[in-house]
Amino acid sequence: MTDDKDVLRDVWFGRIPTCFTLYQDEITEREAEPYYLLLPRISYLTLVTDKVKKHFQKVMRQEEVSEIWFEYEGTPLKWHYPIGLLFDLHASNTALPWSITVHFKNFPEKDLLHCHSKDVIEAHFMACIKEADALKHKSQVINEMQKKDHKQLWMGLQNDKFEQFWAINRKLMEYPPEDNGFRYIPFRIYQATTERPFIQKLFRPIALGGQLHTLGDLLKDVCPGAIAPEDGEQKTQVMIHGIEPMLETPIQWLSEHMSYPDNFLHISIIPRPTD
Amino acid sequence: VAGVCTTEEVIRYEYHVLYSSSYQVPVLYFRACFLDGRPLTLEEIWRSVHTCYQDRLQEGPWDTITQQEHPILGQPFFVLHPCRTNEFISAVLAGPQKHHRHTNYIILWLSTVGPVVGLNLPLSYAKVAPEQNSNTDSV
Repeated sequence: MTDDKDVLRDVWFGRIPTCFTLYQDEITEREAEPYYLLLPRISYLTLVTDKVKKHFQKVMRQEEVSEIWFEYEGTPLKWHYPIGLLFDLHASNTALPWSITVHFKNFPEKDLLHCHSKDVIEAHFMACIKEADALKHKSQVINEMQKKDHKQLWMGLQNDKFEQFWAINRKLMEYPPEDNGFRYIPFRIYQATTERPFIQKLFRPIALGGQLHTLGDLLKDVCPGAIAPEDGEQKTQVMIHGIEPMLETPIQWLSEHMSYPDNFLHISIIPRPTD
Repeated sequence: VAGVCTTEEVIRYEYHVLYSSSYQVPVLYFRACFLDGRPLTLEEIWRSVHTCYQDRLQEGPWDTITQQEHPILGQPFFVLHPCRTNEFISAVLAGPQKHHRHTNYIILWLSTVGPVVGLNLPLSYAKVAPEQNSNTDSV
């Protein structure tokens, strides 16, 4: 039987083979070759694409280069969503490699947050971790940590250091022995078809009688329309990190083992492929 | 604000009050653009914060005002961070509650945080309505 800790490693080291192509209307001095990269599912686009930027800037004039942004089939990609979430939500049932278009002009102000430096990514990442701990522990664990521990979480993510990250993150995954789990589960549910970017609500992992709530319980409570009744045809897939966990899985276990480094469970509900 | 613009620029602000279920406090989202439609950058927003709040802002700009996705509209907005809201709100609420004076949490909160980002509530908001009682089921 696989150790639960192996799941943590599998989640951390997940990769998506990606092909970056320069947008055809960008002005270049010579032809731009596509750039191939294995993207970490748990990281953020603007954190891991320095090489992509350098590669395309080599064939462009300085004055043609403004803030980089990414797009998939006409949809601007939100860099502040983890890469694995973007892929699962927009491209999970398409052929690999994932084809992303790179832009250096006409930044879509109405759709994307700006990302002028790594500080912006760090601020966003830490804000997510703080919000997750507000839900799990009323912020007690994150507030007790020193600034250097916060820094270690960020450095672990930035430098792809599993052990360094989890040395601190394990404290955010603990709970008092008298409880059977966190106060509330940090999660967000995404559906590409809806207006609203995501659903987030307060949800307790343990029922009043002490039973563990499951992934199915969460979905029934928070977005009942998303999954069909048991005897009906299942038109959607519920995906986390590229897999469909069983709906019977306790949500407390999922929160401890399949959260992203920001300590949130980012769940995609996508149409089930018909073939 | 002296030093920011050489000519008088008109900036149009749009404010939204949302509720954070994670922090269980209200949160102020806003966006700002010049009349020609150009949105303000985060740096321009930081510079436009009133002088008397600049010290606090400089201490931790990334903990105070950042750009975030509006959770319902999905568009970029600036947000005044809610983490410290409880600290100052409890301190301010303690006084009136002790004397059983009427309190309107939202007005109290908004009149405190609003001015940081250019939203000054007219005093009329603080006036208690004539029929105001605990059974009011108005707006």
